Amino acid sequence: MSLTRVNAISPFKKKGDIAPPRKKLKVPRLFIFLCLSPWLFGIIFFTAYPMVSSFYQSFTKFNLIESPKWVGLDNFHRMFFEDDDFWKALKNTIWISAISIPLRICFAIFTAWILTKPKMGKSIYRTIFFLPSMVPAVAGTMAFTYIFNPAYGPINKMLEAIGIKEPPFWFMDPAWSKWGLILLGLWGIGDTMIIFLAGLLDVPTSLYEAAELEGASGWQSFRYITLPLMTPVIFFSTVTGVIGSFQYFTQAYVASGQVNDYSHSMYFYATHIYYSAFKAYEMGYASALAWVLLVITLLCTLVILKTQKRWVHYPNGSLFK
Amino acid sequence: MRKNRMFASLAVTALVVSSLVAATTGAHAATRTVTVWSPYQGGNLTMWDAAIKRIEAANPGLTVKSVGNIDMAKSLAAINAGNGPDISVSNGNGNLGWFCGTGAWQNLNTYIAGKNGIDMAATFNAASVSSSISNHVRCALPLYSEVFGFYYNKDLLSKAGFANPPKTTTELLTYSQKLTTFNADGSIKAAGFLPWAGYYGFDMDSMWLGQMFGAKWYGGDRSAAFSSDPKWAKAFNWQKDFIAKVYGGGDFEKGSKLLTKFVAARGGEWGTDHDFMTGRVAMKWDANWMAPMFCTGDDWTMADKCTAKVNFGITGFPVSPDNSAAYGSGVVGQGQMGISKGSKNVKDAWIVMKALATDTKLASAWDTANGAPSSLLAKAARPATYPAWYQPIYDITANPKSAYHTVKNTGEHLEESLLQNLMASWQAGDTPNIKSALADLAQKVDQIVSRNS
Repeated sequence: MSLTRVNAISPFKKKGDIAPPRKKLKVPRLFIFLCLSPWLFGIIFFTAYPMVSSFYQSFTKFNLIESPKWVGLDNFHRMFFEDDDFWKALKNTIWISAISIPLRICFAIFTAWILTKPKMGKSIYRTIFFLPSMVPAVAGTMAFTYIFNPAYGPINKMLEAIGIKEPPFWFMDPAWSKWGLILLGLWGIGDTMIIFLAGLLDVPTSLYEAAELEGASGWQSFRYITLPLMTPVIFFSTVTGVIGSFQYFTQAYVASGQVNDYSHSMYFYATHIYYSAFKAYEMGYASALAWVLLVITLLCTLVILKTQKRWVHYPNGSLFK
Repeated sequence: MRKNRMFASLAVTALVVSSLVAATTGAHAATRTVTVWSPYQGGNLTMWDAAIKRIEAANPGLTVKSVGNIDMAKSLAAINAGNGPDISVSNGNGNLGWFCGTGAWQNLNTYIAGKNGIDMAATFNAASVSSSISNHVRCALPLYSEVFGFYYNKDLLSKAGFANPPKTTTELLTYSQKLTTFNADGSIKAAGFLPWAGYYGFDMDSMWLGQMFGAKWYGGDRSAAFSSDPKWAKAFNWQKDFIAKVYGGGDFEKGSKLLTKFVAARGGEWGTDHDFMTGRVAMKWDANWMAPMFCTGDDWTMADKCTAKVNFGITGFPVSPDNSAAYGSGVVGQGQMGISKGSKNVKDAWIVMKALATDTKLASAWDTANGAPSSLLAKAARPATYPAWYQPIYDITANPKSAYHTVKNTGEHLEESLLQNLMASWQAGDTPNIKSALADLAQKVDQIVSRNS
């Protein structure tokens, strides 16, 4: 099976194509600037300024009351060599990224694939699967702390009914709490699933028909047609997943607030930033943590971008190629 | 003509002088304005504002601007920005270390010792005097109290053959053994008492446990005393022993697992399915503000004869045998107020703050409305409108051994949550050596305090 056939249906123009000359718009520059000004105002005052300010603060000791005091690289030294919670939070974040991103992608592909199958009521099924992703993170997490309650939660009742004598205590047990969060994440897979569904529906049926004629099995069709054509979507989900998982906060914060997470099993990098800033009132240190997070996320994203040539198959003319 | 000139020049002089006088008076009046931010609203703000009117009446020329419904986060942000109030009010002690340590609230030592100062020991109860200090700096004056005592179900105790509540930790264990019942599958049906971090207690269970054993948070050398004061290890070992004996039949691990499940199934805190109201637990630590709910359920009112199904009593915490002198005490915290950094009128702010802290009318009205005993010795008595069964709350407040733990600048009282985490880890069996864990905790707290100093 050659991938060149796919290129025939690419919506992108060929490299050599020349776009027709565009008419010059006679709009005063001032008007353009005025139209852009709300956005410019937002990016300067709510993004650029806080970023510059937090970069400066990352080299200071700042407790919100007294003026920031320059401490050089002390915050970074403390982070790497003295702060056990930093390493614990980083470890937990890497764990959740390493487990949840592949699981979410597999689960999303699987769910999307199932949703291509029904002959009737497709929209209803798709809506049902998409709905959980619309539930606010706090409400969803509260619901899961009830579902996973070891005393009266329906999950443990079911596990006991099928003969598991000592089902896990989920969020109350450091060994199981992160798995509870993973399951919560899989429940809200709708947003990723919908992208994969769009990708699957975009695969030309003629490819499957040709494969079927040549005697390919269902697995072979998936392995050699579906999967290669889905790699751009997998790539996109991986990049956004990495960025999202390094900022993982709400679910862990709510779940750990419902139980006694004494061992910090649900203590993630973003939680550490939050606690440093708003519980320990160490804004300088929290800023340093935030900048290290940016660097880590950037590095991970760059690694994924670098390796994509080996496994992501783009149609000709793709913006990413 | 000459007369006219003279008259004109006199008139001009008079005008100039009068406008100068007016300007100086105006300037003086402007500097005699004190702004007070408080978290109060509704009836509490009305009471507060009435006290402020009394202060204005007693101090001609002084204007006090009262702004309610402002929490400390907002006040602190304003103090940081340099446009904070002269006086701000916090609902509890927790953040005092941070306010004092960072200088958000000014050191009041010179004002207290000054000509218009206050004899703290003769004016306020012992708990209030000690807990408005952080790191040997007094930066706050106390308001009303928040009292944590020991609640017990009289009917359940009587049924088990106990006429009085337990006075010691040894008795508490014996009572609990008799009061705890199990279901046929071995799970706990009803518990006597739970020395358990996370059972309705937020971050305070470990504080209450420490109070029972008389454990100190900081030593004389100002460093954290979790390791140097052996009472902490004793308290934690007692907790472990309690869990093993009462709930695990001698097996700690079994008791811990059963309790984890029992706690997971607890009833909601703010309603009639609270474990103490349903009889699921017979004895517990709790705050004075829970008494109205235990008395009348969802009505949340105080009555001479309580209508809710739990027939309860209140007393001081049971104490360890070597801490028997502290029996009758509990944990007592206070609302606190301080003069903000950057206040442009500190002298008048002190006048206002002192007047608010010592206003007996405000104290009485506040106590009558909220059941929150005053910090003022002059108003230590229970209001006549309150039922006799509520008297123990006043006894605990007045007990000289009642206290809130010493607070230092650890951010948002991080030492409390760190200790609570240790208690939770210990009760779950995840901390093998309590002595080394307490030493680690002390070191960590000292590091935080040192970093913030």
